[in-house]
Amino acid sequence: MSYKIPMGPYHPALEEPYKLDMICEGETVIDAKLHIGFNFRGIEHLAETRNYIQVIALMERVCGICSNIHTLTLCQAMEGLTGQTPPPRAQYIRVIMAELERLHSHVLWAGIASKLMGFKTMFMTCFEIREKIMDVLAAISGNRVNYSMNRIGGVNRDIDDPAAILAMIEQLEGEMMKTVIPIFTTSSTARSRCAGIGVLTEEKAISCGVVGPTARASGLGQDLRRAAPYAAYAELDFEVPVEKAGDVRARLFVRALEIIESCKILRQALTKLPPGEINSGEEKFKFVTGTATSRVEAPRGEVMYSVSWKEGSRNPNRVHVRTPTFANMPAVRWMVMGARLADTPLIQASIDPCYSCTDR
Amino acid sequence: MTTLLDSLPQKLGTADQWTEKGGVHWLDPGELSVRDLCLEMIAAHARFITITAYQLPKDEGIRLEYHWDLAGQLLGFPFLLKAEPSEDPKIESIYDLTESVDWIEREIHEEYKVDFTGRVYEPLLMREGDKLGVNLREIADICKPEPGPSGQEEVKK
Repeated sequence: MSYKIPMGPYHPALEEPYKLDMICEGETVIDAKLHIGFNFRGIEHLAETRNYIQVIALMERVCGICSNIHTLTLCQAMEGLTGQTPPPRAQYIRVIMAELERLHSHVLWAGIASKLMGFKTMFMTCFEIREKIMDVLAAISGNRVNYSMNRIGGVNRDIDDPAAILAMIEQLEGEMMKTVIPIFTTSSTARSRCAGIGVLTEEKAISCGVVGPTARASGLGQDLRRAAPYAAYAELDFEVPVEKAGDVRARLFVRALEIIESCKILRQALTKLPPGEINSGEEKFKFVTGTATSRVEAPRGEVMYSVSWKEGSRNPNRVHVRTPTFANMPAVRWMVMGARLADTPLIQASIDPCYSCTDR
Repeated sequence: MTTLLDSLPQKLGTADQWTEKGGVHWLDPGELSVRDLCLEMIAAHARFITITAYQLPKDEGIRLEYHWDLAGQLLGFPFLLKAEPSEDPKIESIYDLTESVDWIEREIHEEYKVDFTGRVYEPLLMREGDKLGVNLREIADICKPEPGPSGQEEVKK
């Protein structure tokens, strides 16, 4: 006999509201339905009522974890409509902020995953490291969550002392190499709790159109930093970790390896940071009529903004945001099918879902 | 050397060529149906990204832009949906061809009242009693900022 178990909208793993109705037979999930929209904010429409400065502050609030990525993608699209090209130093600062945000996001996720695995010491360790990453972000931007770094034509704040930031990164990297990385790549606890569960095959990953670490853990080597480089990524050397297993452990593994790659990118960007201006210096912008689109590889996967403007208008005509969780979350249905009920919180968390982004 | 991108217009049977604008390679699909386009995209190993919906002024209808990724290149295919004032705009669903469109078709159906024919909808953002096509259209006047000093004034300085 099958029965339905509703999980949510108050979730055991996450603080954001969504609901997963699971049809179970005994302890096994045989199907699931997802419900979102509990916190829909209509931000896309709200954007149409804001001018080109206000809209940046608004879109920074789409997500509390990858707030910088949203303004970066939006500003890149608006630069396409205003003919602005950020100076090289700004492009490097954008990379530094994006990679620090990726570190912050991956370590935060690692902490939550540890808690769900019953590995609470690791949860505390991850959150301690995350605090230090946020200290670096605050040292650069003055802010811990919404950094206000991006603007049309560059960035708002410079990195005055790259050597000091580099020293902070190296210390952080040392701590992560001693704790997070070995535990997530070699520990038997993580392996026994994560291996073989929540499998998303490569075929299903393609058909669901998943992105980011979720796609890369199912054997898809897609990463916009490599396939369609933006900011200064074309000038930096890094690997795109790909795993084939498609299970929770593969997602864990990919993120652990991405932490190493992010540190590698940060070291290069801080060392090679070119001199010069950090923005075009313009305060007023003239938009041409049309639509510009920009894509960025956020910590959870590809973010895309389509921005439409009419010449002479101060407000956008339309801002459309495609967030990574919007692409990844439907795949959870396939991940939980056949899984034990007790594993489903960890499986859901393994895609690092963000409902703030999804219910934008 | 002819790339896959170069050869696609011929495969799609359209006389148009790609126009690169605003970070997107655009191609007018002409008479090609959205389902045939989808099949060609899947055959070319392109990845579906999203559909962007635009409410056009007056009675001009709704424009849907289908975005696909082909080896890192962003492709865009615009479809214009016109309907009589008493009818809802319609286009064929491609959900049965690629499940990656499921949520975005449901979202556009709820926000713009576009009917993606040939599929069954379940509520995505809507709750019981909510009205289709309201979120981004009929509340436009309510959300306009109050007249008077605003951030726009600061920009003028």
